[in-house]
Amino acid sequence: MTAQAAIAVENLKKTYRGLWGPGHEALRGLTLRIEAGVAFGLIGPNGAGKTTFIKLLLNVARPTSGAVTVLGGDPEDVSIRARIGYLPERMHLPTALTGTDFLNSVATLKRLAVPLRDVRGLLERVGLGVTAQRIGTYSKGMRQRLGLAAAMLGKPELLILDEPTDGIDPVGRVEVRALLVEEKQRGATILLNSHLLAETERVCDRIGVLEKGVLKLEGAIDDVRAASRRWRARFAPGQVEAALVACGFVRDGDAWAFAGDDVEALNGALDRARASGARLLELTQATRDLEQVLTEALA
Amino acid sequence: MTQMLRVSLDLLREAARRRWFLALFLAITGVLVTLGLSLQIEVVDGVIAGSKLFGAVFSSDMVIADKVMGAVSMAVAYASFYFGAFFLAVACSDFAPELLAPGRIEHLLSLPVSRWQLLFGTYFGVIALAAVAVTYGSLGVTVLLGAKTGVWTFSLVVGAVVGWCGFCALYAAMLTSAFFVRSAALSAATGVGVLILGVMSSYRESIADVLNSGLGRQAFRAAMMPFPRLALLANASAQYAAGTPMKVEMMVRLIAGAFIFAAALLSVAAWRFERSDY
Repeated sequence: MTAQAAIAVENLKKTYRGLWGPGHEALRGLTLRIEAGVAFGLIGPNGAGKTTFIKLLLNVARPTSGAVTVLGGDPEDVSIRARIGYLPERMHLPTALTGTDFLNSVATLKRLAVPLRDVRGLLERVGLGVTAQRIGTYSKGMRQRLGLAAAMLGKPELLILDEPTDGIDPVGRVEVRALLVEEKQRGATILLNSHLLAETERVCDRIGVLEKGVLKLEGAIDDVRAASRRWRARFAPGQVEAALVACGFVRDGDAWAFAGDDVEALNGALDRARASGARLLELTQATRDLEQVLTEALA
Repeated sequence: MTQMLRVSLDLLREAARRRWFLALFLAITGVLVTLGLSLQIEVVDGVIAGSKLFGAVFSSDMVIADKVMGAVSMAVAYASFYFGAFFLAVACSDFAPELLAPGRIEHLLSLPVSRWQLLFGTYFGVIALAAVAVTYGSLGVTVLLGAKTGVWTFSLVVGAVVGWCGFCALYAAMLTSAFFVRSAALSAATGVGVLILGVMSSYRESIADVLNSGLGRQAFRAAMMPFPRLALLANASAQYAAGTPMKVEMMVRLIAGAFIFAAALLSVAAWRFERSDY
């Protein structure tokens, strides 16, 4: 029995038709399932189809073909969208309003009865505080924080965040990351689209790599990072390099690498190395950061 | 329906914070206060014995107050119809383009609001705003003249409501244009353009007579056919304001024409909105 999927898409295709020509295929048969309570990071180069995928989940754009299920229903259903918090990329806010006005406006349209105290609390939580300052005078980072507060309003079951830390300073990014972790701990499902791989790595449990509308890789973040099938061994100084090379090890900086995920083969190589006089100090499974994962997935 | 009202109320709340609308209401208030302080009218037994504007004698003729009130109301109704339509067309031109701005429309569509609710909520919000401005201005003039002359008639308010029907048609065209090209300038130009075409449409037979008979004349008549008869609506508004309303049948036809024009354009906007990806 699998947990209920917060997001499930099946063979999802989206082609933006032009006036002339065949149009642009943004998604080419994407199938993906994101379980409830999971923080999922979507990564990929510009034009990979990440934002299109998000828009299809929210009924902002309509699929050319394929099925989209969000929180067990069709995103066209307003009662489904009421359970989602969304922060678009480069959010455009009404400049004449104050932050409090804007959150009240979003609460009204979300049919939420949010007391003023809670609105103020949310503004404090995203680091804005309550001021009479109009949004028109906000910095880019402040606007982004306000957008994030709007997304978190009403404790939605699903948070879809498109570049949430865009324009926020490094200290602010740490604060936003902490907020996302809190939301995850609350039980919210998070779909995070960010170019900042370190952010995705720290917040998400699972990732998907999208390129040219195709899902190239998907899995738990630890599995994806460990899937290099490489082991890294450090030996005590003084061993004979030639013997280690003969056992199947290759030099990897100040350590040695052993390729392959066969544990028997690894142990055999270690036994032979030790028999030749090498003394093992440390053995770790080599992991990659997301930059390497992305580079390899797109290679 | 409730969500549509929420969209309208939200728009009104945003409008209340905008400088354009503060300027509009300040301008109306300014005109009323200036008139109130500078206009002096002497009324004796229902007859105006003389009037002064900014201290200078405006008129020293003895005229019946009702008659003067009718003429003044008519002038105010014409001025508010054309200037009001122009000012509101400019002031309201960026509501729809702002709504459809990248980064905002995605957010709005992600909320539990249907597209038709957003569209009609915006439309009703703006025409409600226009209604507030029109009522405020006409009621202000009515109270001012009533207090000065002692003649109390609310025909100017009724005339203003008739004029407001014309703006309902204009704004439908402005809103629809924004769903095809997201531009405040084009939206304002559409409003002003429809106002001019609506005047031409009102006198289309007279204008057609000066064109060479044949295809050109027929094409002109056909092109003018869909537009609401805005100049006739302005006349109707002025006549109501003057307390000499036109025939009810004619009035109904003019107002129905304006609303049918608006409904047709809003249907096009809804069709376009429903089919669009953002």
